Amino acid sequence: MNTPDILRAVEQFIFLEAKHMDAHDFDRWLELWDSELSYWVPCNADEGDPKRSVALIYDDRGQLEDRLMRLKGKQAFAQTPRSRLMRVVSNAVIEGQSATEVVVSSVFSLGEWRSNHETHWFGRNLHTLRITSDGFRIRQKKVMLLNNDGPMPNLTFLI
Amino acid sequence: MNQRNRHLTDAEANTAGTAPGELFRDGKIHSDAYTSQVIFDLEMSRIFHRTWLYIGHESEVGQEGDYRTRMMGRQPVIMVRGSDNVVRVLMNRCRHRGSVVCEHSRGNTSHFRCWFHGWVYDTTGRLAHVETPEAYGDVEFSYENHGLTPAARVDNYRGLVFASLSPDGPTLAEHLGQATVMMDVAIDASPAGQIMVDQGVHRTTFRGNWKMVGMDGYHPNVLHASVWQILAKRANKSFRDTYSDSDRAVRTRAFSNGHVMLDNMQQRLSGLDKRLDDLKKMPGGEEYIAAMRGAYEPARAEALIASAGDPHLGLFPNVQLIGNHIRVIQPIEPGLTQVDFYPTRLVGVSDEINEQRLRQHEFFYGPAGTVSPDDAEIFERAQIGMKASFTPWIDLRRGMGLEERDPAGSISGGITYELTQRGQLDAWKALMEEA
Repeated sequence: MNTPDILRAVEQFIFLEAKHMDAHDFDRWLELWDSELSYWVPCNADEGDPKRSVALIYDDRGQLEDRLMRLKGKQAFAQTPRSRLMRVVSNAVIEGQSATEVVVSSVFSLGEWRSNHETHWFGRNLHTLRITSDGFRIRQKKVMLLNNDGPMPNLTFLI
Repeated sequence: MNQRNRHLTDAEANTAGTAPGELFRDGKIHSDAYTSQVIFDLEMSRIFHRTWLYIGHESEVGQEGDYRTRMMGRQPVIMVRGSDNVVRVLMNRCRHRGSVVCEHSRGNTSHFRCWFHGWVYDTTGRLAHVETPEAYGDVEFSYENHGLTPAARVDNYRGLVFASLSPDGPTLAEHLGQATVMMDVAIDASPAGQIMVDQGVHRTTFRGNWKMVGMDGYHPNVLHASVWQILAKRANKSFRDTYSDSDRAVRTRAFSNGHVMLDNMQQRLSGLDKRLDDLKKMPGGEEYIAAMRGAYEPARAEALIASAGDPHLGLFPNVQLIGNHIRVIQPIEPGLTQVDFYPTRLVGVSDEINEQRLRQHEFFYGPAGTVSPDDAEIFERAQIGMKASFTPWIDLRRGMGLEERDPAGSISGGITYELTQRGQLDAWKALMEEA
């Protein structure tokens, strides 16, 4: 694919991901991921070594599946009732590309409504997508929250 | 002026409400203690601006000029290692017009400069420079008397720095009392007897009162069932309740001055073999076990390895040692609290074991963890419910009269007993009644 075509395809993919996250559609969201995955939401700074610095989320597949198991259940009280979510994903830029992978950065603005309270979240995404015959799969996702060094309320939905 | 949002001065607060301590009596506490602005202001002046508060860990300011900004009640402060290698706690307030002189949360500096009028302080707090000082003319003014105001008292227990804004009162050693025995469990999980706080911080908020961040052994089976289910799945076991009053291996325990814990040392010890097996599978695990056995007496080494550095201890009023972290509780308003979680790194332990501790911490705690988000949620639900004033008394009498006094002086009981809450509130009451 040439660059405009792949950018459009990548955008459609991360828009679809956003839709599943807004809908708390955990199963469809997980299907977008590769079998081996890294999901990193850094804390305190956008960069750093997660082996030596605490993260908000630093999941491999097993940890992510446990996270979803909890959120899907009826006893994740921080999400009972669930947040209403609406996010805009934009500013997609292809940061790198090979025959098998494409790296795309984007930004998001996310409104959360829960318990009569609105929280506005912002962040920058960095997706590493594996190109398969069946479309893209998320190999790595890094989410750099605007407020990752500040006090924040519960982050118990898909980001 | 909106009465709810108006802060009393310390002087006003000290004359408001004649007997605030009466809000806790006979094992019951009145909801006003959690919702009232007047009570909150009294808590600031009589508790947070008086007793010993945890500020930070020495390792956070390892080099001369390293600083961290923190809060002591309503007072912004700087913990800084001065050019003389002394760790101080200084008011973050220019002695001229009151601006903060340090606007970053962490860093290293040679000076603190107020950018309002250019006054400069060195890292010991000494006033080093004033723009056009000659304008003071005949006014009595000296650099020596205009340094950054230090906290009245600063002391440290094995690297944990505490400060008090009162020049009088118990020493830190008197304040901590026997709770230091349990603080040692967190520190001596390192074979070098040393922890580092250098892996960042989870900062969280919830819309509820600071006192809800208590120490409660009654809730985990209920509120955290989703977490036990994950742990059971990982261990290939069926889910069962973790805590029972008939199980003497898990106890509530209260020390003096409001320091309390969920004492799971015996339960941990019964899991020693599994803990050793798990460690042996880790890079550096055999070396860790050997180092611990070299550093401590055999029984002590086993207890420390089994407890994995988690005394599950709360030190009244603002710090807890739980899991792999130091938890700092910062009241902001009656119905708003900040809770910061600082994961600790064990000195003399492999990178892999320390990384595993970080990942364990993230699983349980922080804004995207499992345990602390559900805690925050239920604290917020309680804060809403406590606004209903028709039945305002909260009953904390579980296990009242059933406590046991232990030879070493602490009081203990079944894991669901509310003696931990009563222990904290006894200390709260004593400080609130002392004008």
